[in-house]
Amino acid sequence: MLQLNFNQLWRYQDEFLHGVSLTLMLTLVATVAGLAIGLVCATAAGSRFAALRLLVRSYVEVIRNTPALIQLFLIFFVLPYAGLRLPPVYAAAAALSIYMGAYATEILRGGLASIPRSQIEAGQCLGLTRWQVFRHVILPPALRNIYPSITSQIVLLLLGTSLASQVSASELFHAAAFVESRTFRSFEVYAVVCAIYFTLVLAFRLAFVGIGRIAFRWPTGR
Amino acid sequence: MALVEISNVHKSFGEVEVLRGIDLAVEKGEIVTIIGRSGSGKSTLLRCINGLEQINGGEIRVAGEQVHSRSTDLRKLREHVGIVFQQFNLFPHMTVERNITLAPVLTGKITKGAAARELALKVLAQVGLEEKVDAYPGQLSGGQQQRVAIARCLAMSPDLMLFDEVTSALDPELVGEVLKVMEDLATQGMTMILVTHEMNFARNVASKLVFMHAGMVHEEGRPADLFANPATPELANFISSVR
Repeated sequence: MLQLNFNQLWRYQDEFLHGVSLTLMLTLVATVAGLAIGLVCATAAGSRFAALRLLVRSYVEVIRNTPALIQLFLIFFVLPYAGLRLPPVYAAAAALSIYMGAYATEILRGGLASIPRSQIEAGQCLGLTRWQVFRHVILPPALRNIYPSITSQIVLLLLGTSLASQVSASELFHAAAFVESRTFRSFEVYAVVCAIYFTLVLAFRLAFVGIGRIAFRWPTGR
Repeated sequence: MALVEISNVHKSFGEVEVLRGIDLAVEKGEIVTIIGRSGSGKSTLLRCINGLEQINGGEIRVAGEQVHSRSTDLRKLREHVGIVFQQFNLFPHMTVERNITLAPVLTGKITKGAAARELALKVLAQVGLEEKVDAYPGQLSGGQQQRVAIARCLAMSPDLMLFDEVTSALDPELVGEVLKVMEDLATQGMTMILVTHEMNFARNVASKLVFMHAGMVHEEGRPADLFANPATPELANFISSVR
């Protein structure tokens, strides 16, 4: 008969809290960096230079078709041979950003392509520069179109930060493994950590709904 | 010198030559309607005038400036040449005010804030829609959207306005309100080139009628003359088919 005992976990509060904060930090960094990479690559994917398009294509395909864990290991264990030795947290942030960037590229590319050519022409005909057309005419409705997919991707990223534990970055999952090794209360530890992840995701999703309501107020349809 | 001078313009889409040597001059203050069957190249010609389409031969000059020359700053030119589209092409994520003032603000003609709102209200008054200044395009009828699109054009105080079948996407009962706005503009002396299927407008408001056929200007002249005495069987056929 399984005896549940959560009492021992209380004194590891600090470990869990520290884990949560690093998990959130990794999510934030990789989201911002990933979206930035995605925006650049999505724009480059529509470039008239074939080499640039091929480069973006290769990046997206390689990252999306290989395990994120291996990407992380490459950065953490193999890059040092090339003279670049990153601390665990930095390696994890870099790997997750590159990972997020590839998915964001695909999502943003679809979003930019969803804006009708006639909208771009209307902008051009008003004497706007290419950048002004992009910034004011294309981007806002494109972001709205991709908002559901990009927010799902951010949630996946949040859950994916647990991979960082494998290179000993002390995020939430790493904290769980540590507390388990001290208390041997495997079930309790992972139940608690699971609940924490669940709460975080719930909070993210609620925030996304709120942000979406504020940012995208214009009526859709014709 | 005419405001718009089109000489021997050729334009192909792939193998298909849609414009086969167009010559046309539009003086300041003229209202020119271009009519013709679909596929005759009317809309293409209009889109060439503000550089939306490249041309394969000939030249187009607007206010003396060659539209398709490499050295021409198309953006500068377009600040003086407005175009209104069949599908309105308002920006759905901006209010009517922002739709109208975006370009004047970004091109530095006016500043954001009170001046912008004043400009928006001024041009909206010209199309009779001041009360919609804070609405989004999605909250307006087709006719209202098209009037806002015209107002957006007017906000740049253009020297020339192009209208590309602006009533074709509207429900029949909404066509009148848009035509009314265009008639007002015509009386105020705006130089206008329209591609249209509205024969009454072509007959009663236009100062010049251009009939395009097979990528050429087949006939041109005063509307009354052309409608009464078409010189070619093609125009006679066309007139009787749209009557």
